[in-house]
Amino acid sequence: MSALPTSSRTPRTATRRGGRAAAPYSFLAPALILFVAFLAAPIVYAGYLSLRRVKVSGLGLGAGARTEIWAGLSNYSRSLADPDFMPSVYRIGAYGLIVVPTMLGLALLMALLLDAGRTRVGTFSRTAIFLPYAVPAVISSLLWGFLYLPRVSPFTDLVQGLGFTPPDVLSGSWVLWAVANIAVWGGTGFNMIVIYTALRAIPTDLFEAARLDGASDRQIAWRIKIPIVLPSLIMTFVFSLIATLQVFAEPMTLKPLSNTISSTWTPLMKVYRDAFVRNDIYSAAATSVIIAVATFAVSFGFLKLVGNRAFNQED
Amino acid sequence: MKKTIVGVLAATLLMTSACSSSDDDATTGSSAKPGEKVELTYWTWAPNMDKVVEGWNTAHPDIHVTVNKQDGGDPAVTKLLTAIKAGSGAPDVMQAEYQKIPTLVSANALADIAKESGSLKSKFPDSAWNAVTLGGEALYGVPQDSGPMMFYYRTDVFEKLGLQAPKTWDDYAAAARKIHAANKKQYLGTFSATDAGWFAGLSQQAGASWWGINGDTWSVAINDAATQKVAGYWGGLVQEGVIDNKPMYTPEWNAALNDGTQVGWTSSVWGPGVLEGNAASTKGKWKATLLPQWDAASPANGNWGGSATSVTTQSKHKAEAAQFIAWLNTDPAGIKALAGTANVYPASVDSSAALTTPPAFLSNQPDFYTVAAEAAKITKPFTYGPNVNVAYSSYNDAFGKAATSKKAADFTAALTTMQSTTVDDMKNTGFKVAG
Amino acid sequence: MTISTVVPAVPATAAPPATARNRRGNRRNSTLATVLLLLGALYCLFPVLWVLIASTKSSGELFSTFTLAPSTHLFDNIGDLFAYRDGLYWRWMANTVLYAGVGSAVSTLISAMAGFALAKYDFPGKKFVFNVILAGVLVPGVILAIPQYLLLAKVGLTNTYWSVLLPSMISPYGIYLSRIFAAATIPTEVLEAARIDGAGDWRTFGRVVLPMMKSGLVTVFLFQFVAIWNNFMLPYIMLGDDHLFPITVGLSGLLNQGASQPAMYITVVTGALISIIPLVALFLSLQRYWRVDLGAGAVKA
Repeated sequence: MSALPTSSRTPRTATRRGGRAAAPYSFLAPALILFVAFLAAPIVYAGYLSLRRVKVSGLGLGAGARTEIWAGLSNYSRSLADPDFMPSVYRIGAYGLIVVPTMLGLALLMALLLDAGRTRVGTFSRTAIFLPYAVPAVISSLLWGFLYLPRVSPFTDLVQGLGFTPPDVLSGSWVLWAVANIAVWGGTGFNMIVIYTALRAIPTDLFEAARLDGASDRQIAWRIKIPIVLPSLIMTFVFSLIATLQVFAEPMTLKPLSNTISSTWTPLMKVYRDAFVRNDIYSAAATSVIIAVATFAVSFGFLKLVGNRAFNQED
Repeated sequence: MKKTIVGVLAATLLMTSACSSSDDDATTGSSAKPGEKVELTYWTWAPNMDKVVEGWNTAHPDIHVTVNKQDGGDPAVTKLLTAIKAGSGAPDVMQAEYQKIPTLVSANALADIAKESGSLKSKFPDSAWNAVTLGGEALYGVPQDSGPMMFYYRTDVFEKLGLQAPKTWDDYAAAARKIHAANKKQYLGTFSATDAGWFAGLSQQAGASWWGINGDTWSVAINDAATQKVAGYWGGLVQEGVIDNKPMYTPEWNAALNDGTQVGWTSSVWGPGVLEGNAASTKGKWKATLLPQWDAASPANGNWGGSATSVTTQSKHKAEAAQFIAWLNTDPAGIKALAGTANVYPASVDSSAALTTPPAFLSNQPDFYTVAAEAAKITKPFTYGPNVNVAYSSYNDAFGKAATSKKAADFTAALTTMQSTTVDDMKNTGFKVAG
Repeated sequence: MTISTVVPAVPATAAPPATARNRRGNRRNSTLATVLLLLGALYCLFPVLWVLIASTKSSGELFSTFTLAPSTHLFDNIGDLFAYRDGLYWRWMANTVLYAGVGSAVSTLISAMAGFALAKYDFPGKKFVFNVILAGVLVPGVILAIPQYLLLAKVGLTNTYWSVLLPSMISPYGIYLSRIFAAATIPTEVLEAARIDGAGDWRTFGRVVLPMMKSGLVTVFLFQFVAIWNNFMLPYIMLGDDHLFPITVGLSGLLNQGASQPAMYITVVTGALISIIPLVALFLSLQRYWRVDLGAGAVKA
């Protein structure tokens, strides 16, 4: 630890004066207690459950017919071998390829436009684009779900008016785009604000000189602004990636409207199905652990790859 | 700072009790208070059940029932099973669809109330009684309502095209072709890949029974000849394009019934209540009849929907709960409230007294309940298994694909998927399965 | 501990961007920029506009009249919504405010304390604690919900307000943000001065640290508020009694009932409209606090 004298003085003073050494722990205590009770313990418990299973004897009717036994890793192997599992992983991959670049691209574009300050509609647009963040995913899926129905959708009228047959966006390969649209709608504003905040923090003199040299807004954006806000972009990318891997509420809400969205459409939907429809919390726990490990691997792997230190400020 | 202290206290409390109470029998699931009055909770999704229960509460001041309204049959079962697994949180009384009873019994969620209930057998038709006893001595609930299937159609459209109400499925197919040919936007019905219970009922009519019990062994017959016939029939109509392939119970489908795009519905006795909500503008144009038949000479029927009222194993007042259930489903006042207020079709054989006037939506058909009684009488036996949930979710996925592809061959292939998914799940859990 | 010594050159919260516009000069407006921003705004407002129009329609008109043609039934629909089972909808709104308000207030305070400790103290196990909490950021709520339910059921807390409030009080993300804010806004010298004056750690925290972190903590509060407001899975699993439901679970239940009682759809649509109004109001009034620089820590490291 490369602690500088100014900062390391704090704890030294602390230890000299008796009870002070306990101060950081007492500040941390409520967070740690809650963390253990509601995050660590459930995760450990899920890990335990993933190694268990229920064994039924005979017809399985009556009180003593069900016993819980150790299952070893069989829940894991079954989960990975489930013919529905890998397709849902690939689907999530395709979904992520649509959502993350679209959402962050739009967010970056809007943030740059706002930051350039060459419009009178800045405040209005910023507010409007941020607004969907205030709408819970269940409700936004409900709104879009209605708008996707041919009988309600104004786009049906529009497309028909142009002489085409409107596609049924709730079937076939359109569904992926329909779900992705809800995520983009809900997430662009938030990411825009994050990037915008970072852009506003850039000292003006950094690009004022370039401007005087005749650089265009576009050049300034590419050569100066974007490189400076790159750390913010990386973090929004990581958080978007995590959100993508966890997509659940949107397809779940659209499911009753569509034949194409199966009960295992995304990995978390499979967890839900196993736990709540099939009443097999043990398989669900195993799949949960697999998803959690994959999320860690992807996020930390990416951060390692880009050498980002936002998550690792202690070195 | 106060908030922190509360938070810390609560967290500490949680931790200490988490460590101490694992073997504690004092579950807090039921809300019994000290003293004479017994408090019961009742999970149900039937409309206006709180008003039905008011009748009981005023007549029985010492047993107070509180209704907790549920979203529907599936979410309620999900919650109950989680509560059972957790050891607390279940209600005393639970509305349970017939097809869920084996699952709930297998999860030890439903109490055997044979002792508490006494003899009620004579009050119910055999098929309903079998569903709550699973053919044994135990009693896992009292039949509440039943759902004999019926066919609803738009008389004005049929008359205009010179069609008669279909007696057989061949008639139905012919009518579907004629209607669709006359108006490309119109369909006589839809194949719904999201309603496994509907398809199970149609298969039941054809003579299928997807599960069976032989001694201590289960059998599974989802892809038997009868079900194959039903799947092939509907797949053919979808492939031909004369029947729609969109799911039922969507805003889109509701609107289609209302604006005359869907002009028929293979449904159940509770259908008028649904049509009243989603097809209000077509009131007076509908008629109910028996489901089309495979063999007109020996009419048969299936069930879609219907449920029992059960006592959960976590209830601490099983005797009182059984008393309430008996009142609800066999007392004339209870049956009357079920039929009139909750708008269900009571399972009791004495229900005809409470069912004199037809449902408001079909006030043009005075003999509605006569037809319904006929439909109930010819209902075929059907046994549900302990993993109906697995089979049904497999139905959604497999038939969802088939309905999208619009190929008849995919419909029958979907049955093979359902069969193997169901059998694999049972074997994996340890059930004894034949074959 | 480089971070605590750096003067916040890239302040996550303290920058007063009010002057930024002027600093960027009054330059010519760009039509392209205006058009693009308006298109973005239109896209984002469209569903909100639709729900506004749809909630003025009668149940029959919802599927029959042109999508964007308003009607006159708004007050009937609101009346129906509030009459639904003796005003249950109000109860859901009040519950949501309780869960999100109390949950995020407590969570913010807990996060502030933890973030402050992690940013400004050196103690054994610090790095471990921070990394564990960071790992917690990545855990999906859906995965936690089931074991949380089973554990809470063991202590008989399911189907109570506590079952939703307690898990909502811990937010690894809030702690992570608070740590960044504390590091960026609280100079070590101030803490030294308070210490020399003889102030205890808690007193210093209450009198000096909290006021300095204020604007950052509002951001943490808003984050957690939205997270709890949006959370569907946790209350859905924990609660059986619909008098305890928050708005998301309540509306989703109404939507399920809509399948067999389509008159419910218009109630759901009206309910959705009314439920987003308070949140939108909160957002607009506190908009200046939405200044989250996720990269701030990295820039300085």
